[in-house]
Amino acid sequence: MPSQSMQGFDTANPPFDRLAHQEVEELRAVLDIGYFSPDEMIVRQGHASDLLHIVIKGAVEVRDGNTLLAVLGPKDSFDSRAVVHGAAGEDFVAVEETLCYLIPRNVVLDLIRHNAAFAAFFYADVSRKLDAFAQQRKTEGVESVLRARIREARQGGAVFVDGATTIEQAGHCMKDNDINALFVRDGQRVGVVTGMNLSKAVVLRRLALDTPVREVCHFDVVSVDGSDFIFDALLLMTKHNKRRLAIRSDGDYVGFLEDIDILGLLAGNSQLIPGRIDRARNLDDLAGAARDIQGQVERLHRQGLKVDLIAEITSDLNRRLFRKLFEMVAPLAIRQDGCLLLMGSEGRGEQTVRTDQDNALLLAEEVPDGDLAQFREAFSGALDRFGFPPCPGNVMVRNPVWSQTLEGFIRQLKAWVFSRDAAAAMNIAIFFDAVAVAGNPDLVVRAKEALIDLMRGEAALLAHFAHLIETFTTPNLGVLSTIMASVGVGSGEIDLKRAGTFPIVHGVRTLAIDKGILVNPTAARIDALVQIGSLDTRFGRELTSALHAFMEFRLRSQLRALHRGTIGAESVVRLDEITTVDRDMLRDALRVVRQFRELVRNHYNLGAF
Amino acid sequence: MMRWLRNMFYRVSLGDHSYRFLFEPGPPDEIVVLDCETTGLNPRTDEVIAIAALIVRGQRIMMSTPFRAVIRPDKDPTSTSIKVHRLRAQDVAVGRAMHEVLPELLRFIGGRPIVGYYVDFDIRMLDKYILRYIEAKLPNRRIEVSSMYYALKYGGAPPGTVLDLRFASILADLGIPSLEQHDAFNDTLMTAMMYVQLQDMQKRGTRLSRTRIVHQVAPIGA
Repeated sequence: MPSQSMQGFDTANPPFDRLAHQEVEELRAVLDIGYFSPDEMIVRQGHASDLLHIVIKGAVEVRDGNTLLAVLGPKDSFDSRAVVHGAAGEDFVAVEETLCYLIPRNVVLDLIRHNAAFAAFFYADVSRKLDAFAQQRKTEGVESVLRARIREARQGGAVFVDGATTIEQAGHCMKDNDINALFVRDGQRVGVVTGMNLSKAVVLRRLALDTPVREVCHFDVVSVDGSDFIFDALLLMTKHNKRRLAIRSDGDYVGFLEDIDILGLLAGNSQLIPGRIDRARNLDDLAGAARDIQGQVERLHRQGLKVDLIAEITSDLNRRLFRKLFEMVAPLAIRQDGCLLLMGSEGRGEQTVRTDQDNALLLAEEVPDGDLAQFREAFSGALDRFGFPPCPGNVMVRNPVWSQTLEGFIRQLKAWVFSRDAAAAMNIAIFFDAVAVAGNPDLVVRAKEALIDLMRGEAALLAHFAHLIETFTTPNLGVLSTIMASVGVGSGEIDLKRAGTFPIVHGVRTLAIDKGILVNPTAARIDALVQIGSLDTRFGRELTSALHAFMEFRLRSQLRALHRGTIGAESVVRLDEITTVDRDMLRDALRVVRQFRELVRNHYNLGAF
Repeated sequence: MMRWLRNMFYRVSLGDHSYRFLFEPGPPDEIVVLDCETTGLNPRTDEVIAIAALIVRGQRIMMSTPFRAVIRPDKDPTSTSIKVHRLRAQDVAVGRAMHEVLPELLRFIGGRPIVGYYVDFDIRMLDKYILRYIEAKLPNRRIEVSSMYYALKYGGAPPGTVLDLRFASILADLGIPSLEQHDAFNDTLMTAMMYVQLQDMQKRGTRLSRTRIVHQVAPIGA
């Protein structure tokens, strides 16, 4: 008989998939099984536990006082805090007849000491956990590039010249189009001529500058299809000793793929995009760059870059894009007296996959009405074309409220501050995140200082503003899912923006206004709040990590939504589609949100509302 | 009453008095779940080829300290029993002789009640050897999980109710994951999981709904 000590324990289930064979055997040898009746308290909040529980069957509620936070099901484990850190974060109560594997504490600690990958699951900090699990994806870097489609790579455009074109004309044509190769149409044939072909013809063969290119080009074109894989291209390049391949699509040549483009895929070609933006001469060029930025996000994510860095790179590129667009479409008067603002998540530098246009224009002086009207339409219209969805709250240049003189706008801010309705508070929140990307940045600083003067120390105003944090209360992660699942409808979902990102961002924003902190990114505001002693150092770090965790989950959902074409559900994460470890991390991050919400609530006495 | 009389008899006529502990009560709140794999279903002619047992202490199944043994029988397992248990002659050949295994098993069981699925069959099989060995039969109280299940599910059911007491059906009804069956250890473990849940439901006075339909995948190869 094969010596299986226990067949039911699933070692493919994270974090146990990180254990070596020997460790799995050791673990199996010490497992017991515990049974818990409905309503039985398994681990009590604040208490230590000698056992790590892994649910075999049944359901376990995670409760904080009277609040139900989550329902754990098969393969979920609890409570790493109670076992490793000596105090459970919540109550764990069986809701139905429940069976759990029981792992003794000393065995868990032993595995943690000897296996770093396993240990990561038990880190107290959300950030360290997130880092450890982000590591996993990094190894996919090179492989994912090889499996990318050729059309995903940046590629040189297809420009056709006639066979009779002279070498000199061809050279200028390349320079004008900023490319290194041309397709040459000569009767029925199509050939390719490269910059190197031209140079060699002139320098080495001493051909005259008016020699037709058909003399120096080659007609044995090596080509790939846009839907082929990058590794197909690499094989062809190696086989034919070429550094450049023609790309076909539906029988036509549509461009060139160079070895450098493949390198760009591998390293992420963010360094190439600014050049493309700078060189753009019309809106079509810029639209291409905008697409590049989006493609870039996905590649960087696939290569395992941390979400805050992805956001930083993306924000930087987007700002260049907006600046260039502004320069292209703004009439002279507006370029001289105006200041273009990006707001909301784009202003905080926390945007990855683009969501809404949140932008505005402040003017030092009145400009001619015609100029302003033309700019509003041209700017917002171009962004529509680039694929930036219009802002549902109409927070964009197109809206006169968001494109006016500084003086007028400060009056508007005052009106919002004293109106005390939720929409006005939302407008203030959006504006407070504004960053100047083009024009005179002094204007936005003056507007923000005016806002802070209005609100600073005004306890009632701030409390009203802070109250937005209660707009969406933290969901009871999982409770709906069990109820719905038991009647066979739907399943557990959580809206990351409402449950996670918004409470953190808005709470921090309120504190930042209160303390007159003028930096934009939420993480930088948290650092500043820690500096002046408004937040505890440790808690500040937890808050930043939780924010990044939500951003990471959101980015994954967004990318998935993009692939499925289900825009609209992009900030929703379905609990049954993520791993146990992810659910566990989400739980940790939501716990931080709850603590923070509590802190804000007490600070501004929101109980009074 | 009959069993009490019988046990009194065995107690005084016990061949080896070092096994008196079988007649003493075991630790309170503990039971033993037991399962044997056999060469067939006839206690007279068939033999035990594997034994597994687990102690349940309160609501905890002591899976880390199991009893398990493969027995070398006097006759080779038949092809039918191989199909059921996947214990081939060569596996069984590495087994140990029953007379070596029995003392360990008896000490493991002690005075604890014995729980099983159709436990009478397993005990009848074991008694065959035990009687020879200590001139007594297992005196332990027996707890039948299918009876516990019957009481919670069908107790007071109108006549004509279709009963389903198959092992896999009980598992499915209680929501216990099915491990690979016909392995003595896994069968014991699943029986133990049934027992802890049924015992708790009994204690709380909960009943199992009869209207609930239990879907069961047809057993393959058994």
